[in-house]
Amino acid sequence: MGFVSPDPRDNLPATWEGQKTGLAMARMILNRFIFMIFAGLLLLTFLFCLFHAIPGDPARLIAGDSAPENLVQSIRVAYGLDQPLMTQYTTYMAKVMTGDFGLSNFSRQPVLQIVGPRLLNTAKLAAWSMLLAMTVSLILGCLSATYWNHPVDRGITAFSLVGICTPIFVTGILAIYLFGVHLRWLPIGGMTTWKHYIMPVATLGLAQAAGFTRMVRACMIDALGRDFVTTARSKGVPEHVIVFKHALRNALLPIITLFGLGLGHTLGGAAVAESIFNWPGLGRLMVDSILTRDLPLTQGCIFFFAMLFILVNLIVDLLYRWADPRMANE
Amino acid sequence: MEFFKRYASDKVGLFFGVLLLIFYFVALTAQWITPADPFETSLSEGLQPPSAAHWLGTDQFGRDTLSRVILATQVTAKITTVALLFSLLLGVPIGMIVGYRGGLADAVVMRITDMMLIFPTIMLAIVIVVVVGPSESGVVVALGLSQLPNFIRIARSAALSVRRELYVEAAVSAGAGWPDILLRHVLHNISGPVIVKATLALPGFVLGASSLSYLGLGVQPPTPEWGQMLHEAKDFLTSAPYLIVGPAIALSIFVLSANMVGDSLNESLDPKLKGRRLKRILPRLNRKKAMS
Repeated sequence: MGFVSPDPRDNLPATWEGQKTGLAMARMILNRFIFMIFAGLLLLTFLFCLFHAIPGDPARLIAGDSAPENLVQSIRVAYGLDQPLMTQYTTYMAKVMTGDFGLSNFSRQPVLQIVGPRLLNTAKLAAWSMLLAMTVSLILGCLSATYWNHPVDRGITAFSLVGICTPIFVTGILAIYLFGVHLRWLPIGGMTTWKHYIMPVATLGLAQAAGFTRMVRACMIDALGRDFVTTARSKGVPEHVIVFKHALRNALLPIITLFGLGLGHTLGGAAVAESIFNWPGLGRLMVDSILTRDLPLTQGCIFFFAMLFILVNLIVDLLYRWADPRMANE
Repeated sequence: MEFFKRYASDKVGLFFGVLLLIFYFVALTAQWITPADPFETSLSEGLQPPSAAHWLGTDQFGRDTLSRVILATQVTAKITTVALLFSLLLGVPIGMIVGYRGGLADAVVMRITDMMLIFPTIMLAIVIVVVVGPSESGVVVALGLSQLPNFIRIARSAALSVRRELYVEAAVSAGAGWPDILLRHVLHNISGPVIVKATLALPGFVLGASSLSYLGLGVQPPTPEWGQMLHEAKDFLTSAPYLIVGPAIALSIFVLSANMVGDSLNESLDPKLKGRRLKRILPRLNRKKAMS
C-alpha cells in the first residue's frame, strides 16, 4: 500500500503508537459503556412514563372489559397500581434491575422468557440478511463503479433504484405469491427448516442491498478517481488489483460506517419482514403485543430492541475505529 | 428563476415531477373520480377478477379495488403532507434557534437527536403509536415526531452556516434582536435547502405511513390505505392475487417519483452535485467516462 498519502506517524516507534491507540480505545469503550447504562436507565424511565401516559386504566386492561369492579380493584392492589407514582417507579426500576419485566397479560409467562428466544430469531434473520446485503452490494457496487456508464452500470443502478422504492412488504408479498403460492417451491411462513430462511432473508437482504449498492458505487467511483489510482495505472498495475486492493481498501472506511448504519435499519426492517413471513421474532412479537394491548410485553420488547440498537451502534463505532486508527486520536 | 430553468432542463426530473403532480391531482379530486363508491359492500360481488365494470377487481366485501386505490392516494397524500408539515413547523424553529444561539440548549437538543437517530424511524414510529393509538392522526404524530431529529439537524446546520455571515453581523450591529434576525435573515436564507431536504424526506414518510398501516398500527379499516390494502390482500393470495396489483404499483410509483423529484430538486439547488454525482441515482448520459 505504498500509494496512500504518507502519514507522518509512520516514523513513530510502533510500540508507542500501539499503546496510545490502545489507551484511547479503552477509554472510548468505557465511555460508551457508561453511556449505555445511562441510556438504559433513561429508556426505562421513558417506558415507565410512556405507559402511564397511555389513556385507559391498566388494571381494567389486565382484567378485561367485562370484569367486575372488585376484581379490577384487587388487580390494582396486586400490581401496586394504587400506590403513588413515585413508589411505583422505584418498585418498577428495582424489579427490572433483577431481570423481572413482569408477566405477559395474556400468556401469563414472564416477559423475559418470551422475549429471549424471539430476540435470537430476530438476530438470526437480521444477521443472514445483513450478510447477503453486504455480499451483494460489494459485488454489484464494485462492478457498477468499474463499468461506470456502461450498460452493466445502468442495469445495476436500475436494480438499486427499484429496490429502494419498493417497500419490503410489496416485494415480500410478490415473493410469497410467486414462490409460495404459484410455484410452491418455498414455505410461506415459519422458521423450521433452511428453506424457511430463503424468502425472508432474500427479501430483507436484497432490499438493504439496493440502498447499499448505491453508496458502495459512489464510494468506489470516488476512490477510483483519486491520484493513487492514476499512479498505480501508470505503473502498469493490473486493473483487478487496482479495483480490489487500492480502491476498495480506501473506499472501505465510508462503507463500514454505511453497513453499520444499515444494520440498525435492517433490524427495523426485520419487524416488517417478520410480520410478512410469520417469522417468530421480536418485531412481530412487539407488533402483536401492541395490537392486543399487552403492555408489559410491549415494554419488554421496546427495551430489548432499544438496547440492541445501542449495542449495534457501539460495535459499529469500535469497528470504525479499528478500520481507521486516525479516529482513535480524536 | 434560474432554479426552475435548471430543473426544467432535467428530463428525468421533469417526467417524475409530472408523475408526482398527477398523484396529487388524483388525491385532490379523489371524491369525484372514483368509478364506484369505495365503501359500498356487496357480498355477492366479492373477489371478482378484473373486468370492464371493476378494472382492478373487487375485494372480499365486493368493494371496487380501483376506487379504493384512488381514495388511498388521498389518504396517503393527506397523512404524509400533514406529517411533513408537522416535522417542518416543529423541527425548523427548534433547529434554527439552537443553531443560532448555541450554548447549553444546543448541546441538550443535539444529544437528544443523537439518541433518537440511533433508532430506525420505523421503530420510533411504532413506539409513538403505542402512546397515541393506531389511527390516522396517530400515524401523523408518529411519523412527524420520528422524523423530527432529521429536520432539527438540517435547520441547525443551515443556521450555523449563516450565523457568521456578514449580513447577520450587520443586523446585530444595527441593534436587531435574535428573534428578528432569525425570522428576517436566517429563515430567508435557509428556506431553500430546507424545503429541498423536506422533499427528499417525502418518500420516507410515504413508506413509513404504509408500513405502519401494513402492520395494522396505522390507518384502520374501512378507510383504504395502500399498506393496509396489501395486508388484507395477502389473505387472498391463492384465490385473488390481482388484489395486490393496484396498491403495490401505486405505492411503488409514488415513492419512486418522490425520490426522483427530491434528487432532481436537490441537484438544481446545488449544481455542484451534478459533477460529483453522489446523490443522483440514474447515470447521466453525457458524462465522459473517467476511467477509460
